[in-house]
Amino acid sequence: MDRESVCADNRFTGRVRLKERFRMFMFLGAVPLLLLLSLMLGPSGIGIPDLQSGAGRAIISLRTGRMFMGLITGAALAASGVVFQAILRNPLAEPYVLGVSGGAGLGATLAILYGSGVFLSSGVPVVAFVSAIVTLLAVYLIASQGSGGQPSVYSLILSGVIVSSICSSIIMFLVSTASIEGLHNVIWWMLGSLQPADRDQQVLSGLLVAAALSGIWLIAPRLNALSLGREMAHYQGMNADLVIVSGLLMATLLAATAVSLSGMIGFVGLIVPHVTRALFGPDHRRLIPLASIGGGTFLVLCDAAARTLLAPLEIPVGVITALAGGPFFLLILQNRMKQAWIS
Amino acid sequence: MAADALKFIDVCSGYKHRNVLENVSFSIKAGEFVSLIGPNGCGKSTLLKTAAALLKPLSGKIELFGSDVLQIRPSARASLLGVVPQKIESPMAFTVYETVMNGRIGSTGFWGRYSSSDRDIVERSMIYTDVSVLRDRYFTELSGGEQQRVALAMVLAQEPKMIMLDESISHLDINHRQEVLQILLNLNREKEIAIVLVSHDLTLSASVSDRFLLMEAGMIAKTGTPQEVLQPELLSRVYKCDLHVQQDPVSGFLQVSGSMDTLRARKRIGKVVHVIAGGGSGTELYRRLLIEGFEVTTGVLNRLDSDAEAARALSIPAVLEQPFSPVGNEAYEKALAMVDGCSFLVLSHVPFGSGNLINLRLAEAALEKGKKVFLSSGIGERDYTAGKAALLLTRELLGHGARCWESVHDLAAMLHENFD
Repeated sequence: MDRESVCADNRFTGRVRLKERFRMFMFLGAVPLLLLLSLMLGPSGIGIPDLQSGAGRAIISLRTGRMFMGLITGAALAASGVVFQAILRNPLAEPYVLGVSGGAGLGATLAILYGSGVFLSSGVPVVAFVSAIVTLLAVYLIASQGSGGQPSVYSLILSGVIVSSICSSIIMFLVSTASIEGLHNVIWWMLGSLQPADRDQQVLSGLLVAAALSGIWLIAPRLNALSLGREMAHYQGMNADLVIVSGLLMATLLAATAVSLSGMIGFVGLIVPHVTRALFGPDHRRLIPLASIGGGTFLVLCDAAARTLLAPLEIPVGVITALAGGPFFLLILQNRMKQAWIS
Repeated sequence: MAADALKFIDVCSGYKHRNVLENVSFSIKAGEFVSLIGPNGCGKSTLLKTAAALLKPLSGKIELFGSDVLQIRPSARASLLGVVPQKIESPMAFTVYETVMNGRIGSTGFWGRYSSSDRDIVERSMIYTDVSVLRDRYFTELSGGEQQRVALAMVLAQEPKMIMLDESISHLDINHRQEVLQILLNLNREKEIAIVLVSHDLTLSASVSDRFLLMEAGMIAKTGTPQEVLQPELLSRVYKCDLHVQQDPVSGFLQVSGSMDTLRARKRIGKVVHVIAGGGSGTELYRRLLIEGFEVTTGVLNRLDSDAEAARALSIPAVLEQPFSPVGNEAYEKALAMVDGCSFLVLSHVPFGSGNLINLRLAEAALEKGKKVFLSSGIGERDYTAGKAALLLTRELLGHGARCWESVHDLAAMLHENFD
């Protein structure tokens, strides 16, 4: 009897289980179709516009531009969420957890309200990016001081949350004293939008995201080992602190790039990693690419819905990510919570 | 002679504000099976963490198979030394196979990809620890014993030359404990892997170990064969309780057990011990004497003194004087009456000055009334009275039959001896 069970097991050695393979196949097959669908949706009508006419070409280039924005932003947010959840070993971790959103928001608000003379309009994302990184460094230093050297997970999360709250309070103060037109700009930036940025910024963001995604994919096996805790990872012969610090840096880089590109779009970075994990398992070698693709596609679809549903009015895309995605994600989590997160 | 697998040279180690290991030196030979024992909080886990370079030593040097452990690359270190911690937790739904695979992470190089030989090693480790059948189960859903075997498989997959286990078998049931120990023994005998087992089960450790390392308060108290280390007096001192060591008539293994006789007897003692204390010197005495089954009285203490607070918290009858005042006559008379009712009088490590010297007169009075009196040693260093009055008085008392005690453990033993 024993021999039989051993034989049966050997057939599966080192392979992804059949069901998960099938699911992955379905998912990867669906992605191009869904992206095509998003190109057919827009305020100017449903369907592929006439490519012979100038107007049609303009519409399709606008839609591909937004698709590109959505793919980069969604992929960056989802992958960054995966890394934060893995390193902090906390299911509530998300791309904005270490103060990235608070810092970026504060920087952007200052730039929008008072910086018009100092910065060009394209300067806002740069300011957002820089202040996000500065905030992260501050949070990291505070947490390290508190726990004496290597910061503990909880001190990182706590100081991140507190710094974020301080930033939000300052933003609220600035907003409450702002003029009407400044207010409008700030609110729209904070709601997030996939309005194509200028080309230079798109290219730079694309390169940054691609580099950071390859970087975290490279440490994927080490993230697996890190799920057993820093101590165990150390015993198993990896430089755990190096992986933690570089992982946090790259994840923050991803989040900051996404924020500076498209403003604050919530929900993607928290939920997409959980759903991907629930469907395809926690192995980061698969999880990181799949979550990136999933996050990008999800955001592109939400944006297509946002610009089409109440056309010519545009709904903030963050509203759609939560309203459309929420129930769908809850349904999946309800059935497969155990695969998403055990503790 | 086999080379040293692990060598500590004069190592101090600890945490930011707390030094745990103090000048620890020892060595473990390749292929040896060593049990690391000692009471809770004596530094066993710190020693393991320091050996694995998780904690940097504050001073001293640690050699792992001949090279400085801080100089070894992490991947090379993992192929020399594997550590099974007390408990490992994975918050995500990794399967057993995926979990064991983590053991190869150190050998994967820059790209972090696993080769087919990595997979073979993982298979072998899983077969060795009998977890192959659990392959597709989620690690987190396994029982404690199964998790420990998986953890061992993971560490085995590192192919280390030495394995340290941090109390990881303590909470296994008897069947799984035997099984894990058997696996360790096989590894030790067949593959000559050095094993360091941190354990609280002295009997079990004695049956498998070549050698014992006994730790006490951050230092190595004794190392040697089980016979050499498992001495009742030594263990009783280190663990601060009565322990018996017997040889099993059939197997010849040593068995260590707490003394149940005294446990049962303690309930019926009912003897009264009067404690002269102050400044916090009495709190540990109160606690210990109450546990040993004595009734305790105390005084004269000043109100607000930490011993007075402790006595009140423990419902110990006490004679109290006003805060920061010399002991007056009224309080002294009351205390004298209290001493009348006791069988023993114990003097704590309290310092003496002009204000409380009169408490020492209580001891004198008790001795005159035929009570047994136990004085703490080293009064000379705590004597702040004019002309060393306390020291002179103590010498006189010792001359009249008072006895001297050093550790609370000794004192308890002396009190029990003087039952009748």
